[in-house]
Amino acid sequence: MIALVPGVLALLPEYASIEDPVPDLRAACLDAVAALGPRVRVLGTGSGERVGRHLVETAGAEVVDAGESGVLVVANGSAKRTEKAPGHLDERAEAFDETLRELLVGPDPAGLAAIDAELGAELWADVGGLVALGDLLAPGQAVDVTYDAAPFGVQYWVIRWSPDAVPSDA
Amino acid sequence: MTLRLGRHEFTDDATLMMAIVNRTPDSFYDKGATWAEDAAFERVRTVVEQGAEIVDIGGIKAAPGAEIGPAEEKERVVDLVARVRSTYPGLVISVDTWRAEVADAVCAAGADVLNDAWGGADPELVDVAAQHDAAIVCTHTGGVTPRTRPYRIEYDDVVAAAIADTVGYAERALAAGVAKESIVIDPAHDFGKNTFHSLELTRRVGEMVDTGWPVLVSLSNKDFVGETLDLPVGERLTGTLAATAVCALAGARIYRVHEVVETRQTVDMVWSIAGRRPPRRAIRGIQ
Repeated sequence: MIALVPGVLALLPEYASIEDPVPDLRAACLDAVAALGPRVRVLGTGSGERVGRHLVETAGAEVVDAGESGVLVVANGSAKRTEKAPGHLDERAEAFDETLRELLVGPDPAGLAAIDAELGAELWADVGGLVALGDLLAPGQAVDVTYDAAPFGVQYWVIRWSPDAVPSDA
Repeated sequence: MTLRLGRHEFTDDATLMMAIVNRTPDSFYDKGATWAEDAAFERVRTVVEQGAEIVDIGGIKAAPGAEIGPAEEKERVVDLVARVRSTYPGLVISVDTWRAEVADAVCAAGADVLNDAWGGADPELVDVAAQHDAAIVCTHTGGVTPRTRPYRIEYDDVVAAAIADTVGYAERALAAGVAKESIVIDPAHDFGKNTFHSLELTRRVGEMVDTGWPVLVSLSNKDFVGETLDLPVGERLTGTLAATAVCALAGARIYRVHEVVETRQTVDMVWSIAGRRPPRRAIRGIQ
């Protein structure tokens, strides 16, 4: 079982508010992580990995380096989706995220492995974990997208991939 | 320690707005605006909507003036307390009185807190609080007679005097049977104190917090603010909020106020700066 969540710092307890600014996202993340089983390997960069570890621990699972029951990948799209986004509006961001979405939902492992990391950096996208994700997925795997929005000008996805292939007549 | 005010309990990190409701024709700030019972009740409705956790109903102004006996004081406040009790069961009702006889009547009508602004002038007040399981506010006045102005009062150390008197009063209340979690202390700015005293109490209010008793501060539009800034009643809100911020940083828990909304914002902001309250809703930079 594999899941993708965004590395949103507001998910960490040290950044908790009285009113959760991301209740739907948090719920989707925790649901996705809960499906990964008791031992979870976390793939992400920098603070994203910290967010992933926190979510795993919150779900009552253990973070492991090997022998995992599931893999949690922490990554997200561009932070330049709107004028009020952290990185202000970049007209290329929406198309970049659309391409990412297609690769993730496909899934398209070869496409993920070939993501334009330079453009991703320019668009403030956190895609470091997605290259490794490409190695884990197989074409035709069943995909469940439970969150897909850019509420603060940053594109988030919560996606689950189950090991089962989608039947060819589906 | 959980704070319990009559029927109501509050956690250790809660700050509370105690809104002043004057059932008087002559209080300094509102000059009788809520003298009629309906007007006083309307004031209660307003402050509840503004988020006040406590109303402090008073039937006698603090300054010298016409003598108001216990019978008349009761006439002014008891029915109002009963009406507020039945309309707002979740609201803490405090009554500003120093008289045990009045305290007994308002507790029977549903009051939760006895706010004795005059430092235990009536020794039986603590017994009434204990009988009704009500909370009590123990203030420092330097031993002056109720409804007198300070005149050439000096202290070796006003904060030490305030701590000694309020803690002594709190221990007397405890010995009389008032629950420990229902005792609050108040340095009582301007009561038996000149402006210099009230400023020093504000500056050193953390020493009162360090006693462990929850601290109430009553700063709203008072003369020490007016004299410090040379401003009349009606132009003292900014100064009041500055003093409020200093007391909040030190950890005062209850704020007796005319302006609920402004004080709540000030206290929440300072409480968050102090690291005792998360922001209401923070997302900037952590999306």
